[in-house]
Amino acid sequence: MDSKKVDLSLLDGVLNEYAQVKGSLITILQHTQDIYGYLPKEAIELISEKTGIATSEIMGVGTFYTQFRFEPVGKYLIMLCQGTACHVNSSELILQTIKDELGIDDGQTTEDGLFSLKCVACLGCCSLSPVMMINEDTYGSLTPDKTKKILKELREAAQ
Amino acid sequence: MRIVIGQGSCGIAAGAEKVRKALLNTNINKDDISITGCIGMCYLEPIVDIYDDNNKVTRLVQVSENDAETIAQFVESGDKSLLDKLIVSDEDSEFLTKQTRIALRNCGILNPEKIDEYIGAGGYEAIKKALTEMTPEEVIDVVKTSGIGGRGGAGFPTWFKWNAARSSEGEEKYLICNADEGDPGAFMDRAVIESDPHNLIEGMLIGAYAIGAKHAVVYVRAEYPLAIKRLKKAIEQAKEKGLIGNNIFGTDFSCDFMIKAGAGAFVCGEETALIESLEGHRGMPRLKPPFPAQSGFWRKPSNINNVETFANIAWIINNGGEAFAAMGTEGSKGTKVFAVTGKVKRSGLVEIPMGKTLRDVIFDIGGGMKTDKDFKAVQMGGPSGGCIPAELIDTVIDYKALGATGAIMGSGGMVVMDESTCMVGMAKFFLDFTAKESCGKCIHCRIGTKRMLEMLERITKGEGKEGDIELLEELCYSIKDGALCGLGQTAPNPVLTTIKYFRDEYEAHIKDKKCPAGECSDLIEYKIDADKCKGCTLCARNCPVNAISGTVKNPHVIDTDKCIKCGKCYTVCKFGAVVKE
Amino acid sequence: MINLTINGKAITAPEGSTILEAARANGIDIPTLCYDKAVEVYGACGLCVVEAEGIPKLLRSCSAKVSEGMVVNTESERVVRSRKIAMELLMSAHDGDCVAPCQLNCPARTDCQGYVGLIANGEYDAAIKLIKNKISLPASIGRVCPHPCEKACRRQNVEEPINIAQLKAFAADMDLKADSYMPDIQEPTGKKVAIIGGGPAGLTAAYYLTIMGHSVTVYDMMDKMGGMLRYGIPQYRLPKEVLDKEISIIEKTGVKFVNNSKLGVDYTIESLKAENDAVIVAVGAWKSSSMRTPGEELDGVYGGIDFLRGVIQGNAPEIGEKVAICGGGNTAMDACRTAVRLGAKEVYVVYRRTRAEMPADKLEIDEAEEEGVIYKFLTNPLSFNGEDGKVKSITLQIMELGEPDASGRRRPVPVEGKTEEIAVDSVILAIGQKLVQGDVSELELNERGNIVADPDFFTTSIDGVFAIGDATNRGASIAIEAIGEADRCVKAVDAYLNGQQLDTRVPYISKRDEDTIDYSDREKKDRINPKVLPADVRNKNFDEVSLGFTEDEAKAEADRCLECGCREYYKCKLLNVAQRYDICPERFKGEMPQKYSHDENAFIERNTSKCILCGLCVRSCREVMKLSSIGLMGRGFKTDVSPAFSLPLDETNCNNCGLCVQLCPTGSLTEKFNLPKQVPLDEQYSEEFVEIDGMKSSVIVSRYNGKVLRVIPNDEVSRNSGLSREELRKLL
Repeated sequence: MDSKKVDLSLLDGVLNEYAQVKGSLITILQHTQDIYGYLPKEAIELISEKTGIATSEIMGVGTFYTQFRFEPVGKYLIMLCQGTACHVNSSELILQTIKDELGIDDGQTTEDGLFSLKCVACLGCCSLSPVMMINEDTYGSLTPDKTKKILKELREAAQ
Repeated sequence: MRIVIGQGSCGIAAGAEKVRKALLNTNINKDDISITGCIGMCYLEPIVDIYDDNNKVTRLVQVSENDAETIAQFVESGDKSLLDKLIVSDEDSEFLTKQTRIALRNCGILNPEKIDEYIGAGGYEAIKKALTEMTPEEVIDVVKTSGIGGRGGAGFPTWFKWNAARSSEGEEKYLICNADEGDPGAFMDRAVIESDPHNLIEGMLIGAYAIGAKHAVVYVRAEYPLAIKRLKKAIEQAKEKGLIGNNIFGTDFSCDFMIKAGAGAFVCGEETALIESLEGHRGMPRLKPPFPAQSGFWRKPSNINNVETFANIAWIINNGGEAFAAMGTEGSKGTKVFAVTGKVKRSGLVEIPMGKTLRDVIFDIGGGMKTDKDFKAVQMGGPSGGCIPAELIDTVIDYKALGATGAIMGSGGMVVMDESTCMVGMAKFFLDFTAKESCGKCIHCRIGTKRMLEMLERITKGEGKEGDIELLEELCYSIKDGALCGLGQTAPNPVLTTIKYFRDEYEAHIKDKKCPAGECSDLIEYKIDADKCKGCTLCARNCPVNAISGTVKNPHVIDTDKCIKCGKCYTVCKFGAVVKE
Repeated sequence: MINLTINGKAITAPEGSTILEAARANGIDIPTLCYDKAVEVYGACGLCVVEAEGIPKLLRSCSAKVSEGMVVNTESERVVRSRKIAMELLMSAHDGDCVAPCQLNCPARTDCQGYVGLIANGEYDAAIKLIKNKISLPASIGRVCPHPCEKACRRQNVEEPINIAQLKAFAADMDLKADSYMPDIQEPTGKKVAIIGGGPAGLTAAYYLTIMGHSVTVYDMMDKMGGMLRYGIPQYRLPKEVLDKEISIIEKTGVKFVNNSKLGVDYTIESLKAENDAVIVAVGAWKSSSMRTPGEELDGVYGGIDFLRGVIQGNAPEIGEKVAICGGGNTAMDACRTAVRLGAKEVYVVYRRTRAEMPADKLEIDEAEEEGVIYKFLTNPLSFNGEDGKVKSITLQIMELGEPDASGRRRPVPVEGKTEEIAVDSVILAIGQKLVQGDVSELELNERGNIVADPDFFTTSIDGVFAIGDATNRGASIAIEAIGEADRCVKAVDAYLNGQQLDTRVPYISKRDEDTIDYSDREKKDRINPKVLPADVRNKNFDEVSLGFTEDEAKAEADRCLECGCREYYKCKLLNVAQRYDICPERFKGEMPQKYSHDENAFIERNTSKCILCGLCVRSCREVMKLSSIGLMGRGFKTDVSPAFSLPLDETNCNNCGLCVQLCPTGSLTEKFNLPKQVPLDEQYSEEFVEIDGMKSSVIVSRYNGKVLRVIPNDEVSRNSGLSREELRKLL
């Protein structure tokens, strides 16, 4: 993504509310990611300036938590649950199916920018395992076929 | 007549929101349609409860949006036969009737987004009683009498922690709720927050009063957006009613509430890491001592309890410590909630008094295996816990008895496994988890878990060598001894328990290069049983590498040299003709 | 005050102090790698764990406070086990070389990188001092050593190894030209040591034991000292004048030489033992090995070392015009080139494998050929044929190469029925040499006929008698091997003289996995060899073939060094702790957390693959300097220390205060030396005071051989002064 396009004014509200509240770094980063879809370098530098927290510390926090990203993600972020129940119910097959269908690995985005894949900690929908979340929607009791169908539908919906 | 749709995360994932929208599109009076949280019968979601005017409930399960019209017809006609195929079976009903619900008492019954429903059910009476009739010391006394221990897993006496925080010097104190439910396979806390947030708030207010805190903080994992949304709403409603804020119930007790969302780090379930994270830092554990009760959030005395612990507090205050202590065993009082999942027939939330056995939960309530394979083991306590084998199925649910197996009570995750689960693979799964979640601060955890994982990876690939089991054990004991925090200290448990109970499975991988459960792809071969194969060609068509040959209606053959062991043929075969060896 | 017991010792400590503080105040050392009083306690390394009675968990002594009546054990079995595994884990993820592979491959562990680097910097005095820590005859050894160091030199992965041996000879020659370096001799201990044999092993032992203050006498059967260096190496390779000078320096330290004195004739081991506190047997291997080929007994068949010795002593045997040398090692090369110089017309080297498998030095093989030597590869003598008792020809079995043998070389196998006959006037058997057993009959011998000596303690079957070199265990080897044994034996003997026993096994050090090293960014620079006499000149006389390095050549060659060894080796806390426990990180071998990479500015070099994540740099930068120029990035196994966005240090707010470098317990953060070529050196540190803006300020100064290598700010004033290192140096 062209870094010049990062509109830093979008951060005004968040920074006005939290920049001077101690202990708010994670909250600020969460809002920042909600705004941009990831944490742009420019935003981190601005947060550093407004909060007085060193960029090395912000990056330290940002890279510690799995929630944060430093690259833009695809239109659909697939979060595949790695919980125990999903494991026991063969989530490995689902992971393989997604990789095969989309040609991407964990942490990658398809070339058309449509899908990103991320293996995540337990989503807590264990009774429906194996489970994945795509953006806000949860899909449970997955089978390879069902997974393919979901991906196909999303791809068609995007076109 | 009221139509109530179960809308926990599980329910929504299963389609509950679609059902609700479909119902709203029928002729049913929209005011009669409402939501509730999670009843805990997750395997039957989406669930719709229809209350008649006498509040008698008809429970419909596995409802789809296509059933909305049928329900509308029933509402109009009162013809119950319309619902025959949807009504929950008697057998399934037992899943709930065999439970004893305290922490979950309102879950799946009340509308979590309406404080009035909570108040109508006797909510906020306990905090009123505590504030107006009891001293903080008396509150701590009742909690002491109840015998409740920390439901996060370790079972440490709650009263003791409260007392320590109360005794710590300082005006500014914090009461913190740990809702960073990170154990893969556990979702009790999420269900409580989504389904009964006011119960949590009330429990926390009582705790805050007891320790003398004016600030209450809930640390929720970010993966639980619905829980955060409902909790926020609940806090707003409680503020409006004056139940949060200054001079609650006209007393001089004031308490504010704050929600902090975690950002994806299991280690933040460890209390000092949680505090670091609350302060906006990397979630790396602090050295103990000092303990949070002396120096916690912002270096002030702080008390941290788990969601389920707080969910019991209002009930204890209302019913007395003795009532709670009447349930359970000598060392473990009250009830415990479990999230029962895996290869069990009925999966969901189960709350039972301590002292029941694992068999009671898995077979009596859970209905046994959902597959035709035998029960092999149950994993308890997630990455900090262990696998309890079939022969110990009659182990009593009690902190001590479970601890003696090498597993732990844990926060309540109970993942049931049948014979198709490889126990070395299971240990590898958990080590993969802890290695990824290790904060990286101490050597034992940062490098030790990684090295254990590498060893387990080698073993499951058939590259294990003589002495690996002993080396693993040596490393396990060393990590337990040397790691800085609970995450590292307990990380070896899944390895140690699987070695303890399934050593032969490790040996089979190492010596014979075989995976008895048929799960480790490097150690198995797929073959087609010519007697069972009908020659349907489905497997050949699904094989990604064209390793299967054969003609229609004739038995097929797998070329094992070409086979990449993806298992697709095994999954697609409708006749069980593809076998793993 | 609090009363407690640590390791059985009753101590008192102020209330509120930690166990670590209490222990340190009472001289009890507890290892730690992440604690420093400058910053808050952290508890990462877990090495400071101790056991306290009544407390089930191990305590981190950096944070656990003392309490009344506490009984602490800092070295219990459980504690040691925990530390040992912690160190094994840590080292399994520490991707770095403590010392360079050249040094490791040198049997004497000579600090090759050290002296090569010093030569590159023009510090020849320092170079010779460093060399003489290990090698007492460097001009000689530099000329004759088959240099295992160069075989391990990583520069060969770029193009060719560094010419380490010749650089050593260069530094030593420089030293011999002027006032030669004389070591400081310690106070006399009053202990007497007798050494039997004045070869490289015996002389080495004599030199270092004398420096330690012991009174040493060397007994040798020949009329001069030097052993095989003198009687086995031809003049054209090692001029005896060079050897004489070096031996005279050894003599000047106070060693007593007794020549023409033979074991078993003039004295016995027991008789020496009676007169001395210890005896070292270093008699060498002076008998040529037999090939067990028919006809060996014929006139005109000589042993290789016998032949060489005869030439050196001026009574060269009659070899005629056609000479065949059997063997492919350096003795064979010495023999054939000597034969050429004696005027032989046809000189053959008979070797059963090919050129590629020859154990002799490549340069020797080439130079011999230039001088006219004819190689008969893939041939093996079947018989030496004679007339009237004198050798006339050799029947050679033609060989071919088969499967690799245990040594990894392809095994030569006879080609059935194929032979060749060559006419010869003499044959020289250069296939090895053996101990003359009768001399050492007082000692226990092994099945090979060599003296049984403990490989680590060098003890023999007689108490107080030690044995080293070619006469022991596996038999004859190269001089540097004997020197290495002598070096370690000296320490064992010194300990023995003090009533102790010393295991001289080399302690653990960290090594990089050779397969993972990337050389693609290295610029190619050809190896420089010293000029040599033209072949048609040198093959007629015994003048030294090599003309030695000029100063420019030496500096340029030394500058090619890749600087493999770690600059912080001498003060590495990590290594220090690692060596305290008997660790074997190999058992946990696995992925390395970081790619080998480095970032450097004018002062500081960062090497994250060596980082152990103690956090001292990050914490001191944040807590003390309030800069946070660097931070911890990522988490778990892959956690890394880096500036934000992986920027180079120079693009951050780093002010080069050097505090992080000072606190780094290993070589992950290092401050460069005030030298053009960086080289690990055993610096001497001292705290000194300078005046900055009218304020007195503390700095740490490191010196080596009198030269200031680093000046490190040591207080707030110097750290915040903004002065560069050069400016600080000028203030001294």
